[in-house]
Amino acid sequence: MNLLKMGVSAGWLDYFRPPENISTTAHLIDDLFNYTTLMVTFYFILVCIGLFGFSYLYSRKRNKTPYYTYGNKKKHLIVTAFIGAAVFLSIDLNITRIANNDLVNTFWKFPDHKNEKVLRVEVMAQQWMWSFRYTGPDNEFGTADDIVTNNDLRVPVNTKVLFHLTAKDVIHSFFVPSVRLKVDTIPGRITRVWWEVTKPGKYDIACAEMCGTHHYLMKAGLTVYTEEDFNKWLASSSLIAANTNDPQDANLAWGWKWEE
Amino acid sequence: MSGGYNEIHPEPTTFWSKYIFSFDHKVIAKQFLWYGIFFLGVGGLMALLIRWTLANPGVPVPIIGNLLFSGSGGVVPPDTYAMLFTMHGTIMIFYAITPILIGAFGNYCIPLMIGARDMAFPLLNMLSFWFAFLSGVVLLISLIIPQGAAAGGWTSYPTLSTLIGSPGAGQTLWCLAIFIFGISSTMGAVNYVTTVITLRAPGMGYFDMPLTVWGLWLTAILNAIFVPVLGAGVILLILDRVFGTTFFLAGASATSGSGDPVLFQHVFWIFGHPEVYILILPAWGIVSDLLSFFSRKPAFGAKATALSMTSISVLSTVVYGHHMFTTQMSPLLTQSFMTLTMTISIPSAIFFANWLGTIWKGSIRFDSPMLFSLGVVFVFGLGGLTGLHLGTTTTDLFLHDTYFVVGHFHYTMAASVLLGGFAGIYFWFPKMFGRMMNEGLAKVHFWGTMIPLNGIFFGMLLVGYGGMHRRIYNPFIYESLQRLIPVNNLITTSAILMGAFQLVFVYNFIKSLMSGEKAVNNPWEVGTLEWTIPSPPPHHNYDIIPVVKCGPHELGNPNLKTGRDFQYQTEELVEA
Repeated sequence: MNLLKMGVSAGWLDYFRPPENISTTAHLIDDLFNYTTLMVTFYFILVCIGLFGFSYLYSRKRNKTPYYTYGNKKKHLIVTAFIGAAVFLSIDLNITRIANNDLVNTFWKFPDHKNEKVLRVEVMAQQWMWSFRYTGPDNEFGTADDIVTNNDLRVPVNTKVLFHLTAKDVIHSFFVPSVRLKVDTIPGRITRVWWEVTKPGKYDIACAEMCGTHHYLMKAGLTVYTEEDFNKWLASSSLIAANTNDPQDANLAWGWKWEE
Repeated sequence: MSGGYNEIHPEPTTFWSKYIFSFDHKVIAKQFLWYGIFFLGVGGLMALLIRWTLANPGVPVPIIGNLLFSGSGGVVPPDTYAMLFTMHGTIMIFYAITPILIGAFGNYCIPLMIGARDMAFPLLNMLSFWFAFLSGVVLLISLIIPQGAAAGGWTSYPTLSTLIGSPGAGQTLWCLAIFIFGISSTMGAVNYVTTVITLRAPGMGYFDMPLTVWGLWLTAILNAIFVPVLGAGVILLILDRVFGTTFFLAGASATSGSGDPVLFQHVFWIFGHPEVYILILPAWGIVSDLLSFFSRKPAFGAKATALSMTSISVLSTVVYGHHMFTTQMSPLLTQSFMTLTMTISIPSAIFFANWLGTIWKGSIRFDSPMLFSLGVVFVFGLGGLTGLHLGTTTTDLFLHDTYFVVGHFHYTMAASVLLGGFAGIYFWFPKMFGRMMNEGLAKVHFWGTMIPLNGIFFGMLLVGYGGMHRRIYNPFIYESLQRLIPVNNLITTSAILMGAFQLVFVYNFIKSLMSGEKAVNNPWEVGTLEWTIPSPPPHHNYDIIPVVKCGPHELGNPNLKTGRDFQYQTEELVEA
């Protein structure tokens, strides 16, 4: 019986969590989410206390004579203004400030591959497939030695990975739940996102923007390797690419010149 | 104030002029009500089909499955699924909520509550309904054409909604239907704004209007300004689809054009964000009034509530960019839209405080309209507060396009508006039809709606936070989402339950219409103008245009000597 109860409660908790966190930056989003949730819960409890408490205390049965007031006395105005200010100062100002700091210091601080070690990947989305392109040994995109994979992204741990993304046909959205990031891929534009993951394993990449009938099938695998395994994979893929890439193959010709 | 056109029109004599092409705002209101309830049923059934598919992918839909989807053995196919959620959104927003909250209550309440004999432009009013009707017909036709209805989501983002993603005629018909609906809404909006400004009874200042009229009036102003923007957007989309222009096509590959798909998103959300408030403002107004009426005391800080609603309407026009954080707008725009979005909290907190202040120390009667109003305070609390997670750019990077968003906007736009709409229907039904609704069934309907409703939309918040994204036919091909199957089952079970309890409402509505207890002039004992005249009101509403001498919420004044605990707006204010 006790075991059953524990099983049930552990199961319940499992519904109240986000996907597994595998990146160095996801905790920023989780922390802010938790802070917002905490504050929101606090104010919602206040609303509920008012709603249910007043409904109980001041029902017709318990309170025959209502208090005749327009709520425009000075103390009423002060309380109302205080509530407005409290909500703004305790939630809005804080989450705006934190989010802004995280954007400026982290999410918008794109790594510079000329000065630090960065893996660059070009991403092209189309109905209903993700294609990923690595530079190959020459460090240039759009050349014959590029490594191209479909629905299969492989990255090393503890390395910053910078993505430039676009779409071929309709708008898609590159969504990696485990790193809490999402960016639209838009025909005619290049969007950017970067991350650094810390945990080897296999994870999901999804398309989050409605892109047609088989939107739900537009799924790619994310494989996070240790640095050693990644280099091994990259080397063997380079070899395969050099030997098998067909310059006439139109499906391989989508790479573009990398611009910061 | 009553400088407008306010004569007694001769009563229509033929069936056609009385019930079909009527100029009477009360008849038009009922037409909109029937129209809205019909589409509410259609949109609700679609929601159930969507929910069935999400909880039981690949399992035939019971009872109606074989009839609707005979080609696939009763299972909803993926392309039909996309049509279902597209049409569910479109129908609920434009063809259910808008007609009921704005079309029906706007038409019925505005003239009666401000002491007018009809709308300022009765002909325009009739045209507004028949354009809406035409638009509904076009939309329904799109459901039965060979390639099916629009399937690009109710937001219809290009390039998916151009020929590249949607070659069928369904998407064009969708654009056309929305454009025609825009004409209807604009006509209605112009009419409402003018009526409120010119036809208020003598003595009625703006702050003597019931808050219901405030809500409807602000809605009409937003409608008049922003619905034409959507009209322009869908016209450009039609040009792209039919005449080969490239407003929304860009890129060197499959789409090749010199336009920009993101442009449509800007146009859409410039309309789309105010639209959220267009839908919710009438419900806010109704709730603000009803809380006061049934607490038997004046609305707490009524002026502040009206001004908060006004400032939210103004702010709603400058925050739309928070729908587009993931498109990577310029950093300056992202930061500005985030900050502006947050400021909406202040007026929201103020009118929440006023709502609670209204029931504080009241003498509350828990009649069905009051129950539904209290329900709105609860669900809008949840809906509004979860908006903070989404208005914050960084958390939105994770939550955007997940079920967290779906849960949030259903709490605000669906749950709050639906409950507010039911509150209004139970409240004004006696005035509209001259009969009372069954109170016992109304209470069953309230609890049968309220409890499953939270199961549905709170469940959506949970699965969204768990990482489940929107508009997917089968979430469980993702292994990481399989742990959410039980929550999805809970949502679906709740949805079926809530759907079933709506039958109680339909039964109650029809039964009361035919054989309900006869309503007296003022069954709820409140003082606004519409309750001074018979139920239902005569064709021209007021024999003599009333003169307004006090505000709409004069209840519980201890110095009243009339034997009533409330004052009519036509009575001289008794000093407390």
